[in-house]
Amino acid sequence: MKVKAMEAKNSVLVVGGGIAGMQASLDLANRGFKVYLLENSPSIGGRMVQLDKTFPTMDCSICIVAPKMIECLRNPNVTLLTYSELKEVSGSAGNFTVRVLKKPRFINEERCTGCGVCGQHCPVEVANEFDMGVGIRKAIYIPLPQAVPLKYTIDRENCLECGLCQKMCRAEAVEFDQQPQTLSLNVGTIIVATGFELFDARTRSEYGYGRHQNVLISLEFERMLSASGPTGGHIVRLSDGRIPREIAFIQCVGSRSLKGGVPFCSSACCMYATKESILIKEHEPKCEVYIFYNDLKVFGKGFQDFVTRAKDEWGVKYIRALPGEVTEDPKTGDLTLWYEDTTENVTKSIKVDLVVLCPALIPRAASKELAGILGLELDEYGFFKSKDPQFIPFDTNVPGIFICGYCQGPKDIPESVAQASGAAARAAEVIALMASKEAQ
Amino acid sequence: METEPRIVAFLCNWCSYAGADLAGMSRISYPPNVRAIRVMCSGRVDPAFVINAFEMGADGVLVTGCHPGDCHYVSGNLKAEKRMKNTGKILRLLGLGSERLRLEWVSTSEGAKFAQIVTDFTEDLRKMEPNPLKGRVNTEAPVNTEEVISKAFKKTNVQYCLECGKCSGSCPISRVNDAYSPRRTVERFLLGFGGKVLPTADLWTCLTCYTCTERCPSDVLYPEFVRACRRVASQEVMEELCAHRGIPMALSRIMTNLSIKQKRLDWFPEGAETSQKGDLLYFTGCLPYFDVVFEDFDLDLLKIPQSVVKILNRVGIKPVILGNEKCCGHDLLWTGDMENFEKLAKMNVAEIKETTATKVVTTCPECYRTLKKDYTELLGNPDFEVLHISELLSELINKGELKYDAKLPMKVVYQDACRLGRHMGVYEPPRRIIADIPGIELVEMGRNRENAVCCGVNAWLSCNKYSKAVQIDRLKEAKATGADLLVTACPKCQIHWKCVTSEKLWVDPEEVTMKMRDLSVLVAEAMHLV
Repeated sequence: MKVKAMEAKNSVLVVGGGIAGMQASLDLANRGFKVYLLENSPSIGGRMVQLDKTFPTMDCSICIVAPKMIECLRNPNVTLLTYSELKEVSGSAGNFTVRVLKKPRFINEERCTGCGVCGQHCPVEVANEFDMGVGIRKAIYIPLPQAVPLKYTIDRENCLECGLCQKMCRAEAVEFDQQPQTLSLNVGTIIVATGFELFDARTRSEYGYGRHQNVLISLEFERMLSASGPTGGHIVRLSDGRIPREIAFIQCVGSRSLKGGVPFCSSACCMYATKESILIKEHEPKCEVYIFYNDLKVFGKGFQDFVTRAKDEWGVKYIRALPGEVTEDPKTGDLTLWYEDTTENVTKSIKVDLVVLCPALIPRAASKELAGILGLELDEYGFFKSKDPQFIPFDTNVPGIFICGYCQGPKDIPESVAQASGAAARAAEVIALMASKEAQ
Repeated sequence: METEPRIVAFLCNWCSYAGADLAGMSRISYPPNVRAIRVMCSGRVDPAFVINAFEMGADGVLVTGCHPGDCHYVSGNLKAEKRMKNTGKILRLLGLGSERLRLEWVSTSEGAKFAQIVTDFTEDLRKMEPNPLKGRVNTEAPVNTEEVISKAFKKTNVQYCLECGKCSGSCPISRVNDAYSPRRTVERFLLGFGGKVLPTADLWTCLTCYTCTERCPSDVLYPEFVRACRRVASQEVMEELCAHRGIPMALSRIMTNLSIKQKRLDWFPEGAETSQKGDLLYFTGCLPYFDVVFEDFDLDLLKIPQSVVKILNRVGIKPVILGNEKCCGHDLLWTGDMENFEKLAKMNVAEIKETTATKVVTTCPECYRTLKKDYTELLGNPDFEVLHISELLSELINKGELKYDAKLPMKVVYQDACRLGRHMGVYEPPRRIIADIPGIELVEMGRNRENAVCCGVNAWLSCNKYSKAVQIDRLKEAKATGADLLVTACPKCQIHWKCVTSEKLWVDPEEVTMKMRDLSVLVAEAMHLV
């Protein structure tokens, strides 16, 4: 059954194009509501598209998320507002007026076919944010091959303005004089799903991230594991390109910290480290993997089995200790970890080729500004505050504005998706209520 | 009060003791003021014995040994001569006077000479004031173990310990001594075995370098916890763990006596200008004493205050310097002697206030922390601001008031002192000062700033093979940078390192021996002042 979109004010603005935002958008669109899906970066997809696999099922992440991205693009009820920012919100539940700034891509989206010729010719190479800086991109780029929409963007900060892309583009889509655009939309409800950002592991300087080349953070490593990543799925050391023989994961970098970090548990690290360990074993069976943890938080369905399998079938070694320090041998780039094995009560060291830090997943710093625009309250950690975290975690202090996903609190992908559907249901409820009131 | 002088005499078994016996057997009479202690050699008499004797109220100390050349152990008496000369200097600094200590050569046959020496010494002491430390009893109030520990629990967050072991993985001592683990020490306290930990070495092993605290996710202030517990533990085991037989602590304790009038300003450079009252006070710390106690190390520690005064004069500051400045009390504080620490703190603050100084500058990072943090905790906010010399100098450089006029073409590596760095967060000013010197290339060790490694000993405690392993490791790291000079702002870093490198080591001395310089001295050199 095809449902016709309702009028503009019975529409929904979803802020954040990650898995939660996409799920909420699709749920609402399939119910016949008009959805504006706002995304800050040039493509929707969010964090999940950066992952190689998902735990505990080991699904290929992009394989399960790309269909949802395409659905968002194709669904006539969803309007994608990528590379855009929310600037202003006024009104109340059922009738919000929002002002959106559409940043200039310097590409005509109508004309760009995403052929990629411009990118091939662009002479500027910069660190690729999508690959967490491990890989490179051009100044005219799409963040990932499966970008939605498949439209190029010019990064004017790094652009030399040589005009080569303009010359090569047969669709004549390059428009250097594009200006920011402001859109005004009328929506009934708003769903916020802005996700998380990573704790800056540099601030825990004892682990040497940013100083030692072979100390990576988990998302960088995840990109390395990914077949579409900068190394084509090969695990190598950045210092010398050698395949590491011993890899150590360090958990809780900045999480569960009363000082120099955040006090909460990120709730995904123990599991993704296990997942990445199994992937290492699949890629390089001879590689030894150590996971340094303090408490293993494996609470979900199938999680404990997953860890047991990692231990028994794959030989991943779990060591109950948080290392005090990672030091580098400047000649070889090898790393030494000092730790106290708290099950054996012995302080010792281990030499490894690569260290992967699992930094805390923290609320976005920009949440503060967004909360100001939306009139939302933040909790003490910077997550959006639920009105009732027990029963309706999606509701906020502002009627008609809902939250879902990691921006509401630490959770993994399935929980984010479930919460997104919940928030979508609540949003639909509000609009329906408004509509029935109006009908009376 | 007893008016007769009391003399403690250390007599060599092989000569003087027999000499004293002969005086007795020959019925030679001499004043009964002497208390004889037989030692196997005058070389056995440690300066600590002498200082302890004075601390306990002796008016004079007599050390007698064999005539040079006659020593039963070849050269013990010559060593005694050197030591007693050195000890005399300490007594002079303390204002007790070096004449209260006498070293004499008395052979077995010289009974009459012994009697004469005692008679003369007694006469001389009668003419002097009695020892001002006489009759002083250390009244240490009984400490309630449980109360101290439970208070420490609350103040230092130990109950938040996650048992992750990050402290042990960070502790420089745990790495070389796996029997020691801050985590396990905390665990034992939390499980209620605190009383059993107190008499063990664990509490005294901590370098209080703050590396564990810097990294602890639960913000457990382990060194502060240790400090609090040492207050109780010090009643049981401290003395034996103290290096240099506890001389530094004894000196600090002696200074708590109000009648002590020190003579500590002999180091004053010629033509230097100071003022009695003024805005800026320079707190010199124990440098005049360390210069004597560690004479053998040839560190020229007095160059530090001399440099500071000259630098300050050059920029137009006439600093106030206290003639009777007391030890800041740092070592007493960290070894659990709160009573005497409090006395010193009160005396120093009162003396500083009298000068109307609004800024107090220190060169020693330990004084810096103690004055700035611990005095404030104890006595409330003082009326003066405490600055480390590096903070003052970098401020002067920023204002363009301090300029270097020498070029020092060399590679320099800087060691962060624990008290300056992790304790107080002063990382950049010293670097700024060094890097600004023309010709100098400042290089860093792999572990620097908050990850810097301690020089291996704190508060003269637990100087053992483990601290030496830590020191060697750190010196190797410094040497490996290829620097020509190792600069530190802490005189104690220099003392401890010089100490370890002057011993026979298990490593090639080439790998660890480096030229060292104090930060202030380096600055003075760059200004052509020394």
